[in-house]
Amino acid sequence: MTITRRNVLLGATAAAALAPIAARAQTSEVVIGVTYPMSGANAQIGVDAQHAYVTATDIINNKHDFELPLAKDAGLPGLGGAKIRLVFADHQGDPQKGRAEAERLITQEKVCAIIGSYQSSVAVTISQICERYQTPFVSADNSSPSLHTRGLKFFFRAAPHDEMFTKAMFDFYDALKKKGTKIETLALFHEDTIFGTDSANAQIKLANERGYKIVADIKYRSNSPSLSAEVQQLKSANADVLMPSSYTTDGIMLVKTMAELGYKPKAIVAQAAGFSEKALYDAVGDKLEGVITRGSFSLDLAAKRPMVGKINDLFKAKSGKDLNDNTSREFMGLIVLADAINRAKSTDGEKIRAALAATEIPGEQTIMPWKRVKFDELGQNNDADPVLLQYIGGKFVTISPPQGAVAEAVWPMK
Amino acid sequence: MTAETIIQSLASGLLMGLLYGLIAVGLALIFGLMDVVNFAHGEFLMIAMYASFFLFAFFAIDPLLAAPLVAAALFVFGAVVYLLIVRFAVRAKANAGMVQIFSTFGLAIVMRGVAQFFFTPDYRSVTHSWFGGKTVSIGGIFLPQPQLIGAAVAMLAFGGLYYFINRTDFGRALEATREDAGAVALVGIDKNRVFALGWGLGAALVGLAGAIMSIFFYIYPDVGASFALIAYVTVALGGFGSVFGAFAGGIIVGLVEASTALLLPPSLKSVGIYAVYLLVVFVRPRGLFGSM
Repeated sequence: MTITRRNVLLGATAAAALAPIAARAQTSEVVIGVTYPMSGANAQIGVDAQHAYVTATDIINNKHDFELPLAKDAGLPGLGGAKIRLVFADHQGDPQKGRAEAERLITQEKVCAIIGSYQSSVAVTISQICERYQTPFVSADNSSPSLHTRGLKFFFRAAPHDEMFTKAMFDFYDALKKKGTKIETLALFHEDTIFGTDSANAQIKLANERGYKIVADIKYRSNSPSLSAEVQQLKSANADVLMPSSYTTDGIMLVKTMAELGYKPKAIVAQAAGFSEKALYDAVGDKLEGVITRGSFSLDLAAKRPMVGKINDLFKAKSGKDLNDNTSREFMGLIVLADAINRAKSTDGEKIRAALAATEIPGEQTIMPWKRVKFDELGQNNDADPVLLQYIGGKFVTISPPQGAVAEAVWPMK
Repeated sequence: MTAETIIQSLASGLLMGLLYGLIAVGLALIFGLMDVVNFAHGEFLMIAMYASFFLFAFFAIDPLLAAPLVAAALFVFGAVVYLLIVRFAVRAKANAGMVQIFSTFGLAIVMRGVAQFFFTPDYRSVTHSWFGGKTVSIGGIFLPQPQLIGAAVAMLAFGGLYYFINRTDFGRALEATREDAGAVALVGIDKNRVFALGWGLGAALVGLAGAIMSIFFYIYPDVGASFALIAYVTVALGGFGSVFGAFAGGIIVGLVEASTALLLPPSLKSVGIYAVYLLVVFVRPRGLFGSM
């Protein structure tokens, strides 16, 4: 296309017309990029995440009587009452698409920070792009430990990672063993991207340190049409505990195939992901009475902290589901980020980064069972205490750690 | 590794393989008829699974009973896809192959998008059915009933298809059109009609497979993708266009997949399938039972 004088003129007029709007927009709204799988195998995760973020935005942008940062004001007082606006982008669970979408969000949508992204493998590429553009990335719900150890300055994670989650599982085993329960052998079942691999590595490390024997370590390909051969190996190993790290589709297939091949594990302790999802329990919940999963969230907390129940109601009105491990972390991630932007009093990446690094939110001002939100020099919050939940009679009850437990664990599972 | 483990793996592989064959045969049929690869084959499977799920959810029709209904619906769908899209795509004068690929590929993307829009990306399952979750145990070997039913349906379908192609007038017209579409026009066979019926039949077969699979597999808009890939390699392995080749190819893929998982880490189990395929390409590029 050749550029004519008329085109230049038109462009200039349009730019001149839009400039005041853009300038005004900058002060009245803060744009945050949110990237999730919204199509593909994990699209439902993205849909649910969208509801969680919209719920959080509602609480930030409007007045609510909750003991959460920014809930009592309309908008961000530090930026003259500016409202949060979210721009959603679909990364389809693909690290390369995640990279492209992050770049588009920063350069074209002019977001001041990005939050995401469910799959740890996609968080790897997004966080690299954010680092290059000096834009903070808040990892709301990625759990791979290797994400925060890469020395990125703009990476922040308020939620626990899989080493912390795994430690909670082994603390729980140790406590059960002390009471005389026999737990000696473990079987690992994990998918083959960074989430499953990191999770299994953490599990192997702790098992070796604490004297548990791993009798099967099965790495499988995600979304396989059949898991018969894999389950056959789990069955022959017949470990005291089966520890899956699986997304929803594979979780459903695992449980169905176990039933078909007549394998009844003595206990299942899952690294959440698929085992936190309603879809999995809708499909195979009848075979999962007594399954244990790690979590960063527990609705039982609502008894102690009524705001948790009320926020759950707000979320449920939008999504038709209770808050779970994933959606609670997504909700909290945006609150933490907005709190930092408010204190930064700016949408400048470096200033938000500094404010995030200075974050200090007491546990009571979150919806999580955490001690507080405070990032270490790697951007990880080490005071986020995980919980273990057991699926009993169609709902989750907290069974560990002891201070948060509302019931004794049923072991072995039914 | 005990003998029991080996037998169990092979039995599971065989059952799965028969189902792979049933999924693939429609693809082989359409390719054999008119040299068009249907890249929306996995999405045909997906809508068949949804059809079966909705018949279950709204009318409490068991997937096995729903199978003929789903197959009939897919028959109509397949014929319509031919008449509205493929018929025009094959007329392209330049780059005919590319036009065919992109038209069916485009159809696949549209179908996925439409499914995600209307059905939401949530995972659905048929929670109760006559055979779902039940198994038969013979001497410590577990055979899941849904897969047994699937294998039986696959064998019946292949038997019926064999009879149909070799013993009926329409079957002969199908074979003749496939041999020489120009010549059949001279003896008064309407090529478009045969092609439309061929697409219908191919879609009906994958419809049958989808209904059976809905008994034991989760359903979501992208469910076709992993099965479609297996269907393509099944067809290529068995021989392009050969119905019997798809049957044999399915069984081979199922068995190879199961035995690879016994020997190698399970995350590498599809490597076995493609290694065998490469071997076949090396020795017999047209596929094991390919006639071209």
